[in-house]
Amino acid sequence: MPIFKAPFNGYSVKFSPFYENRLAAATAQNFGILGNGRLHVLALPPTPGAPVAEIAAFDTADGVYDVAWSESHDSLLVAAVADGSVKLYDSALPPASNPLRSLHEHTREVQSVDYNPTRRDSFLSAAWDDTVKLWTVDRPASVRTFKEHAYCVYAAAWNPRHADVFASASGDCTARVWDVREPGSTMILPAHESEILSLDWNKYDDCVIATASVDKSIRVWDVRSHRVPVAVLNGHGYAVRKVKFSPHRGSLLASCSYDMTVCLWDYMVEDSLVGRYDHHTEFAVGVDMSVLVEGLLASTGWDELVYVWQHGTDPRAP
Amino acid sequence: MATGPDDKPQESGTELAKPTNEAPQNAAADNVKSTSTPSVFVNSEPIREEQVQNAVKFLSHPKVQGSPVIYRRSFLERKGLTKEEIDEAFRRVPDQTPSAQPTNVSPDPQSKSSANVQPQSSSQALQPTAAAPAGVISSVVTTTRPRFRWIHAAYAVGFLAVSGAGTAVLLKNAIIPRFKCWIRKVISDEENDVLKRTNAGPSLEEETAAAAKAAAAAAADVAKVSQEMLNSKVEERKYFGELVKLLDVQLQEMKSMSTAIQKLEGHANASGALSQFNHEDHGGLVTIPKQPFANGRAEFESRSARSSSPPGSSEPSAAPHPKSYMEIMAMVQRGERPPNVKDINDSPPNPHQQIPNPRLAPRAKPWETIQTQNNSSNVYQYQSSAEAWNYNAQDNGIIDQSNGDASAPWWQRKNARITEIDRDEDLKTGQPVQRAWVPPQPPPIAMAEAAEAIRRPKQAAQKEQSSDETASRSSDVTDELQKITKFSESGGAESTSEMSSGMNSTEIQVEQE
Repeated sequence: MPIFKAPFNGYSVKFSPFYENRLAAATAQNFGILGNGRLHVLALPPTPGAPVAEIAAFDTADGVYDVAWSESHDSLLVAAVADGSVKLYDSALPPASNPLRSLHEHTREVQSVDYNPTRRDSFLSAAWDDTVKLWTVDRPASVRTFKEHAYCVYAAAWNPRHADVFASASGDCTARVWDVREPGSTMILPAHESEILSLDWNKYDDCVIATASVDKSIRVWDVRSHRVPVAVLNGHGYAVRKVKFSPHRGSLLASCSYDMTVCLWDYMVEDSLVGRYDHHTEFAVGVDMSVLVEGLLASTGWDELVYVWQHGTDPRAP
Repeated sequence: MATGPDDKPQESGTELAKPTNEAPQNAAADNVKSTSTPSVFVNSEPIREEQVQNAVKFLSHPKVQGSPVIYRRSFLERKGLTKEEIDEAFRRVPDQTPSAQPTNVSPDPQSKSSANVQPQSSSQALQPTAAAPAGVISSVVTTTRPRFRWIHAAYAVGFLAVSGAGTAVLLKNAIIPRFKCWIRKVISDEENDVLKRTNAGPSLEEETAAAAKAAAAAAADVAKVSQEMLNSKVEERKYFGELVKLLDVQLQEMKSMSTAIQKLEGHANASGALSQFNHEDHGGLVTIPKQPFANGRAEFESRSARSSSPPGSSEPSAAPHPKSYMEIMAMVQRGERPPNVKDINDSPPNPHQQIPNPRLAPRAKPWETIQTQNNSSNVYQYQSSAEAWNYNAQDNGIIDQSNGDASAPWWQRKNARITEIDRDEDLKTGQPVQRAWVPPQPPPIAMAEAAEAIRRPKQAAQKEQSSDETASRSSDVTDELQKITKFSESGGAESTSEMSSGMNSTEIQVEQE
């Protein structure tokens, strides 16, 4: 399985929605505390034994906490930078011409960016200044700012079917569902007793959300009856950093945690844990499932490594 | 809030009640079940009166009124109240304060709160008697402007001190005579009792004796139970002590291992065995009580002052952070800049550069296409076992889709086999039309090479990969299938020990390439 060694601590990986063998990795120096950052665009090798190729790398003054591929342009990327800016990169252009844009409106670190998969023209940024901002690629200023959370917003995710609906996860222990046409949030989910670090929508049931929290659990909610979770997935030893629903199987989700493992769950099954990978030697902070290749997983962690492997195989195998 | 009026029609739950503005938007944007869509993502519960009343009580509490509004809202949200309920509670709160508020309700809560907090806290001990004076003070204080609150606070304190002293004196005067009366009464009662006893006769004696016996028996029982409880507590403490000792031992081992890691960091072979060891230790440490860790975790995650003093650095936080992380945190706290940080100019060279046009058309998402892409579904069809084991270029040609990528998609063949073993029958038969489920692929041949690499030394592994690909694969693959089965089903714990050393050595070689 290809493994990429980055110079900085990994923070996020995302597969490209256009190329099966391409993925982006967001990294930050010094664990993201204080230092530079780098955005890598990687290509998986055609043969298993060959090393991962780096198509492009973009340096930033501050750490890059998250990256999102554009759904409309095959080479455009959006980077969430720790200095509060959101930067647009074109991996087809040389580094000297990049970034294309630097959108600086957040007053604190931007933790997450997500591109709209249905409308393909807009993206969200979630930051530690308690706000979520909506942007389009062509505008220099944000289109909307959603300010309701009482603490850092750690994640924002678009609904896979409804182009105007998204959800946000915050350190104020609530997740909120928003509609961009409404001024405020349309639903508040007091999902956990501790901070919620990540959330994702079920791609096959657009009313189901999974939230991952510092309390080591992942809870799956149905927004139609959101008082009681559909499932509570326990098994991680420490805070769950990221959760991602499979684009191919409706009840499968992947998660990564500070316990250095990446776990796969099937929340509709009694014994939910279907896979566990402990290849990382530091916090596993980023995980993604490929939309184009079923079962292909990628993960990254503070051990500066990016792994790509098929579910059921060993990530560390060559 | 704009969502308010929208919610009411949605409460009825019928699409017809939906406002007309939803319809064109739905038609334009969404497909299937579009008319019901927006209502699903909105709270359609009616306002719960009980929750609102609880919220009102909460908001009326003087201590709460000293906190910023956003925290009050956040607290109520965490308790599960909907926006409408919270808004309703906020609307009701000023109406329920005991002192009549003639004017300036909204700016006053701040002043009232701070003034109230002080008198309340100082009179805590004399609560019942001081309630009236405090009430008077609060009413006096509330009608004034914030500027005067210090003076009024001083008045309040002074008045309370006087009233406290007065009540103390009063109580002293009241209590002592009452106490004396009570003592006299008791003594007189005893005398009476003595008289009565001689008068009452044996029946009373018997009754008292029986009562005394019953009391003694009850006391004995209570003593027994408390003794048992004490014993169990002692035992629990013993176990806890043992557990703590064990954990300490594990901690010590962890520490020694981490120092060993530091030493061996330079050596390529270190990571494999040690990481697995570390992981086991982490597994053991999981049993540490959760509460402090949850707090520590939260503190770490907040990082509210990343550049100044990061929270959570006082304690090691929930998850054990790498040593270098703690070093860097300490460095940053001291105000030093880590040496490896460079000055980088990452501003756009041409901020008005035109965004290039897209080169490829966007692809449909798997969940959007109900019909599977036929070519890919054929690829993923579970073919006969003999074919399945073969990893040849022909399959690559079929799999390789239209995007023109020349890369042989070796990663595509490797669908999970293990977890779907029990579902093979379903998958072998009808290929579901929906792309929601795709039958599993047999384990790919590349894994056989991995299996070889695991069993054989590093150099040999490299040669294996490049040399014969026609080695007897079937047995290897089945072995490796079992291994993978173990690997994923047992969470990797069992097999990592065997696999990690071999794996990591090859991994390191790959990296070096």
